[in-house]
Amino acid sequence: MYFEIKDLHVFYRAIHALKGISLNVEKGEIVALIGGNGAGKSSTLNSISGIVQAASGSVIYQEQELCGLATDEIVRMGIVQVPEGRHIFPKMSVQENLEMGAFLRSDKELIQRDMERVYDLFPRMKERRNQAGGTLSGGEQQMLAIGRGLMGEPDLMLLDEPSMGLAPILVEQIFDIIFEINQAGTSILLVEQNAQMALAIADRAYVLETGEIVTKGTGLELLNDPKVQAAYLGGESEEEKLNKGEYYF
Amino acid sequence: MKNMTYKTIQNAITTGIILIFFEMIDLTSTLAIILEKLFTGNSKVKTVTPNYLIAVIGLIVFIAAAAFTNKNLTPASKISLPKKLTAGLIFGLITGGMLALLNIILGNFLNNGVDLRKYLEVLSPDVIRNFLFQKDIQSAVMIFFGTSVAGALAGTLVMHIFQVTGQPAGLWHSIKKSYGSFQQQQHSRRNQLISRSALVLLVIFILILPLIANAYTISVLGLVCIYAILGLGLNLIVGLSGQLVFGYVAFYAIGAYTFALLTAPKPLGIQLSFLPAFVIALVMSGIAGGLVGLPIMNLRGDYLAIVTLGFGEIIRILINSNNLTDFTGGPQGVKNIGQPGQPAFIGNLLGAPLKNNVWFLYLIFAVLFIVIYVVFRLQYSRTGRSWEAMREDETVAQACGVTTSSYKVLAVVIGAVIAGAAGAIYASRNTYTGPGEYVFMVSVNVLAIVVIGGMGSIPGVLLGAFIIKGIPELLRDLESYRMIVFGAMLVIMMVIRPEGLLPVKRRRLSVKPESVESLKENFKS
Repeated sequence: MYFEIKDLHVFYRAIHALKGISLNVEKGEIVALIGGNGAGKSSTLNSISGIVQAASGSVIYQEQELCGLATDEIVRMGIVQVPEGRHIFPKMSVQENLEMGAFLRSDKELIQRDMERVYDLFPRMKERRNQAGGTLSGGEQQMLAIGRGLMGEPDLMLLDEPSMGLAPILVEQIFDIIFEINQAGTSILLVEQNAQMALAIADRAYVLETGEIVTKGTGLELLNDPKVQAAYLGGESEEEKLNKGEYYF
Repeated sequence: MKNMTYKTIQNAITTGIILIFFEMIDLTSTLAIILEKLFTGNSKVKTVTPNYLIAVIGLIVFIAAAAFTNKNLTPASKISLPKKLTAGLIFGLITGGMLALLNIILGNFLNNGVDLRKYLEVLSPDVIRNFLFQKDIQSAVMIFFGTSVAGALAGTLVMHIFQVTGQPAGLWHSIKKSYGSFQQQQHSRRNQLISRSALVLLVIFILILPLIANAYTISVLGLVCIYAILGLGLNLIVGLSGQLVFGYVAFYAIGAYTFALLTAPKPLGIQLSFLPAFVIALVMSGIAGGLVGLPIMNLRGDYLAIVTLGFGEIIRILINSNNLTDFTGGPQGVKNIGQPGQPAFIGNLLGAPLKNNVWFLYLIFAVLFIVIYVVFRLQYSRTGRSWEAMREDETVAQACGVTTSSYKVLAVVIGAVIAGAAGAIYASRNTYTGPGEYVFMVSVNVLAIVVIGGMGSIPGVLLGAFIIKGIPELLRDLESYRMIVFGAMLVIMMVIRPEGLLPVKRRRLSVKPESVESLKENFKS
C-alpha cells in the first residue's frame, strides 16, 4: 500500500471535524476528495501534512506512520501540500517563492533543474520571476502555489482547492497542468468543491460530508451517481432551477 | 460656488480653532520666541515681542490659506483670481473674527480682575496682555483682523502665482526625475566607486564625530545609538519574523540589570570586569528570550503581544520590588556600575587618553556596527528567508517545511540578546540604573522606531532611532510643547509614507536579457 489513512479523527476543541475517515491512494493515481463547505476536506489534508494534529487514527505512507511527525519531516518524505486560497508569499518575488518551495533541499543542481521544469510548465512564471508574488493575478498566484509545491520534489502532492475563485478558463488550464504533473509520475490527492472538474480527471474519488466519507468509487462512477449529481453537480437542469427560483443573480 | 463658500468657511473655522488651541496652551508665544531667536540670532530672548507674535499668527494663517488654495481652488476648477481673493478675504475675516472674539473675552476678564489661572494654568495676565499686544482691546481686535486677512490674502495670492507659473511643483518634479535617473546610473561601475568612497567618507566622519562634538551631542548620540541597537533587535522579531512582541523592554532590563549587579559594589558585590559581565548579560537575556519564546511558540499575533506585554511588566515589577532590595537594589536602583577601562595603546597613540564619554561613544559605535553586521548577515541568510516566509504566511511556510515554532523562538532569543547588549552598554554608560528606566514606554518607542523606519529595513531602523530619540532633543526649544509637535510629525509621516521612511528594498535577481527576449518570441509565435 502506497498511502493510506485509517480511521482518522480530528477535533477543533469540541468540534468533531473528522469522524473516522479512511481512504487510500495508489502510486501514480489522482484521487479526488469532494464535498461542500465544512465537510472536512481541508482538515484531512492539514492532518496528513502535520499542520493539524489528529486525535486518533493513522496515516501510513510507504509503510511509515506519519501521525505525530512534524510538518518538515513529512515534507522531507515527499508529501507536499499546496494550501487552499492562493497562499503565496506576497512580498517575495516569484523566484524567491519557488526557492522557498525547495527550502528543505540542498542539492543546488537538482533545484535548478526543477526550477526550469516549473518554468517550462508555467512560462508565465518565467516571464514574471522578478515580480512580487502579491502583484500576480489570481490564476497566476495559483500557478505559483502549485509551482512552489513542485519545488519540494513531491512524491505525493496534496492540492487544496486549486480552482477556488478562478475563471472557468483558468480552472481548465490548472486542471490540465495537474494532469500533466500526474503523468510525470507524481501521485495526487486533490480536494475540490468543483466536483465536475475533479471527477473528470480523478482515477478514484471519495465524497466527504460533515466529516464522514459517504460514497466512493471511480471518477466516472461518481459522475454518473444520481446522489452525487444532485448534491454536487447541479443534478437539475438550469431551466428547472430557474423555474423554481433557486438561481440568484 | 455654494460648495466653495461652504468649504472656505469650514477651513477657516478649522484654522481658527487651531489658533485658539495654540493660544490656550500658549504655543503661539513659544513659537514667537523661537522666531525671534532665529531672526535676531539672540539666543537669550525670554519675553514675547508683539511684532513676532503677529508674525507667527500671520504665518499660520498664511500656511493654512495656501494649503486650502492648493487643495480646493485648483487650476482645474478654473476659479478666477478675484474669486480666489474673495475666498481668501472670507477666510481671513472668519479666522480673525474667532481670534478676536476669544481675546475680547479674555481681555474683559483681565480688565475685570478675574484670574483665569484657576481654570487654565497658562492663562496668566501676562500672557493675555501679550495676546492683546500690550494694547487695549479695540486696537488688538483690529490687529487680529488685519493680520489674519493679510495672511490669508497673501497665502491665496502666493499659491495662485505658484499655480499659474507651475513652480515650484515643476522644480520639485524635475529634482525627483533627475534623482531617479541618478539611481539608475548607479549601476555603472564608476558610480559604484563614487558610492563606495561616499561610504568610506561617512565612516570616517562618524569616527571623527565624537572628537569634535560637545558633551551634550555626545550624550544624545549615545542614546540614539543605543536605541538603534534596540531597534535592530526588535526589527528582527517584528519586522523580519513578523511576531508582535510588546514587552521588549524586559530583555533590555535583564541585560542592564545583569551587567549592573555583576559589576557594582552593592548589593551583590561581585564586581566582575567589563567583558565577562557583558557576556553573561548577553547570555542571561538570551535565556530570558528562550523562556518567553517557549510558551509563545504556538501563539500568533495579538496573543503574543499580550503575553510579552505581561512579561515586560513582571520584570519591571520584580526589579522595583522592595522585597528583593537585597538582590536587585529595589526602587533605588544600582549605583557605581562598572565601566570598561580604556586600553593603554589609545593613550599612547593619541598622546593622551580619550575623554571618558568620547571613549564610551566609540564603544557604543563598535557594538552598533557589530549588531548591524550580524543582523545584515542574518537577514540575507537561510534563517532570514524562513523568518520572512513566516511573516508573509505562516501556514505556507510550514507547508514548505519551515519549522515555524523553532524559528519563532530563535528570533525572540536573538532579539533578546541584542536588547541585552543594548541594556548592558546603557547601564555601564550611566553608571547607574533603576527600575524607572524600564517602563512600557521604552517598548513603545522601540516599536515606533521599527515602524517609522520601515519594517525589516536596517537603514530604516537607524533613521527611525534618530527621529524618535534625536528629534525630540532638537526640538528642545519648544519646551513642553515638543511632544505635541513630535506627535504631529509622526502622524504626518505615517500618512505620507505608510510603509515607513526607508522601506526595505527587495534584492533584484538578475535575469539574463536573452532569455526574456526568447521568451517573448515564444509568446508571439
